[in-house]
Amino acid sequence: MSVASDSPVHSSSSDDLAAFLENELDSDSDSDSSSESFPSEEAEDVANHRSKRRKLEYVETIVEEKIQGVTFSGEFSKASSSKLPCEHPGSFGELCFKCGRSLKEEETGVSFGYMHKGMKLTEEEVAKMRDSDNKVLQRKRKLCLVLDLDHTLLNSTVLRDLRPEEEYLKSLTHSLQDGSGGNLFMLEFMNMMTKLRPFVHTFLKEASELFEMYIYTMGDRPYAEQMAKLLDPKREYFGDRVISRDDGTVRHQKSLDVVLGKESSVLILDDTEHAWPNYKDNLILIERYHFFASSCRQFDHRFQSLSQLESDESEPDGILASILKVLKQTHSLYYEGGGGEDANGRDVRLLLKQVRKEILKGCKVVFSRVFPTKSRPEDHPLWRTAEGLGATCATEVDASVTHVVAMDVGTEKVRWAIREKKFVVHRGWIDAANYLWKRHPEENFGLEQLKKQGTGTEEKTTNDVTLEK
Amino acid sequence: MFFHIVLERNMQLHPRFFGRNLRENLVSKLMKDVEGTCSGRHGFVVAITGIETIGKGLIRDGTGFVTFPVKYQCVVFRPFKGEILEAVVTLVNKMGFFAEAGPVQIFVSKHLIPDDMEFQTGDMPNYTTSDGSVKIQKECEVRLKIIGTRVDATEIFCVGTIKDDFLGVINDPAAS
Ligand SMILES: [Mg+2]
Ligand SMILES: [Zn+2]
Repeated sequence: MSVASDSPVHSSSSDDLAAFLENELDSDSDSDSSSESFPSEEAEDVANHRSKRRKLEYVETIVEEKIQGVTFSGEFSKASSSKLPCEHPGSFGELCFKCGRSLKEEETGVSFGYMHKGMKLTEEEVAKMRDSDNKVLQRKRKLCLVLDLDHTLLNSTVLRDLRPEEEYLKSLTHSLQDGSGGNLFMLEFMNMMTKLRPFVHTFLKEASELFEMYIYTMGDRPYAEQMAKLLDPKREYFGDRVISRDDGTVRHQKSLDVVLGKESSVLILDDTEHAWPNYKDNLILIERYHFFASSCRQFDHRFQSLSQLESDESEPDGILASILKVLKQTHSLYYEGGGGEDANGRDVRLLLKQVRKEILKGCKVVFSRVFPTKSRPEDHPLWRTAEGLGATCATEVDASVTHVVAMDVGTEKVRWAIREKKFVVHRGWIDAANYLWKRHPEENFGLEQLKKQGTGTEEKTTNDVTLEK
Repeated sequence: MFFHIVLERNMQLHPRFFGRNLRENLVSKLMKDVEGTCSGRHGFVVAITGIETIGKGLIRDGTGFVTFPVKYQCVVFRPFKGEILEAVVTLVNKMGFFAEAGPVQIFVSKHLIPDDMEFQTGDMPNYTTSDGSVKIQKECEVRLKIIGTRVDATEIFCVGTIKDDFLGVINDPAAS
């Protein structure tokens, strides 16, 4: 039952008080129109009360006679705002935080619930904050980095989804208190277990020197905060920049609306491309981290999870290490030659493309029976991916070709490549470069490997490729 | 502003609380139910200070619960526009700061912080004058003026300013 249902007692005294309060509430809503002024005697009295009010023991009963018949106007304080109409830059609890007016009806704006409950800002105000933030960031030679949680920095599972062969993990968990350096955590109060991705501690530490970092997850608020604690036990990295799905502005999507960085200086690291439909150029897509069996099942992967194999990604050579290099490269390109004013007009989206083009730079790739005959090869995603990675693509072989990408040893181009001692790889070589941001040894992607794995190879391979006959 | 008023509430009590301690049980339940809650009409109920009367109980058919009308005195807190309050800063960020005066939280936007104070990030975010003489950070006490309030059924929202004469930091425990 709420107290709102409490009724004041119908004695004369509390009726007066109720009336007084009511009046005051009314005068709140149309404070400009109130003309009655507060009698000076009472004002003094109220002022006296005010100064004592902070401690309960000072509380005195307000004598009802004094209240009777008095209408407060908001004006016993001198109006401090100038006569210019307020542009209502934002609100707290639907009150304009600049002029104090209730904005219930007219309020529009972006909710910044992750900074504080009830907080909203207009787009113009957000733009202003971005500008001033950007100046501070430039001075510190930093950029913004938005980090996803699940499958990007960590992997979580509900305890009841643990497979029998994963039970051994329970004896390996870290306590939450010790907080430093742990990688595997049991969160019994949430019925969950969380595994941090190898290298994540180093990653965050080094990235934090170059970036102002945000967490942005589709998980709910309590989950987001708990994960932030695991990743950042000393609260050095994220501060209040933890955004959960409860704080987003668009359902089932992520948006930079609520990130106080300029789009030209924000990088995003996420495993889910379609979460960021409007920010593809800011996005560094990362290969999913599937540590727990439940995670593999969730994505319909048939292979065994890392936990089932009692294995893990490499700490020094894993994906987070490669991504950290990419981040550092992009950052140094941005602030090349001093940064500050010089960095004006630079755009991480373009620089990221530039960094990407380094990965397969110098490679000239010819595809052999990888694309369906009917379509133009230049339109195929794999062609575009290869070009995005800095490779040159061609349809016919010549001496300058370095790689032949094929799915079958029997083609003429493959035979030519073997004769000319060129690399022959399957498309996994390009996919790996795409997802892992580095050029991999060609011998790991030879066509013999393809045969060994059977016709299925990787899912990525079979899903979107129709071989020509 | 605090007020001392009399309110009435119908209290439902389970039969297991009947007996010698009926009155005490009623009062402790009343405190539990009411203190710290907020009503749109009166503001925050800070503390119950006394019981005026407890009316005759009425047995509810079927359940055995008994309803008692209880009149009680209590201290309520309701902020007003224009009121000056002393409050303790609880959170500072680039949008401004939050401060607590008793049960009420007040937001002071950076628009209403004097222009010569600038936001500084770090593990102890703060607003500081260029000469460093005045600093607003967590735990420090400020005197502020309420410029708007909204009281709904369960919550009170307040926005305030320190951009006026005699407002601002009155005590910074971190500095001393
Ligand atoms: Mg994810
Ligand atoms: Zn306004």
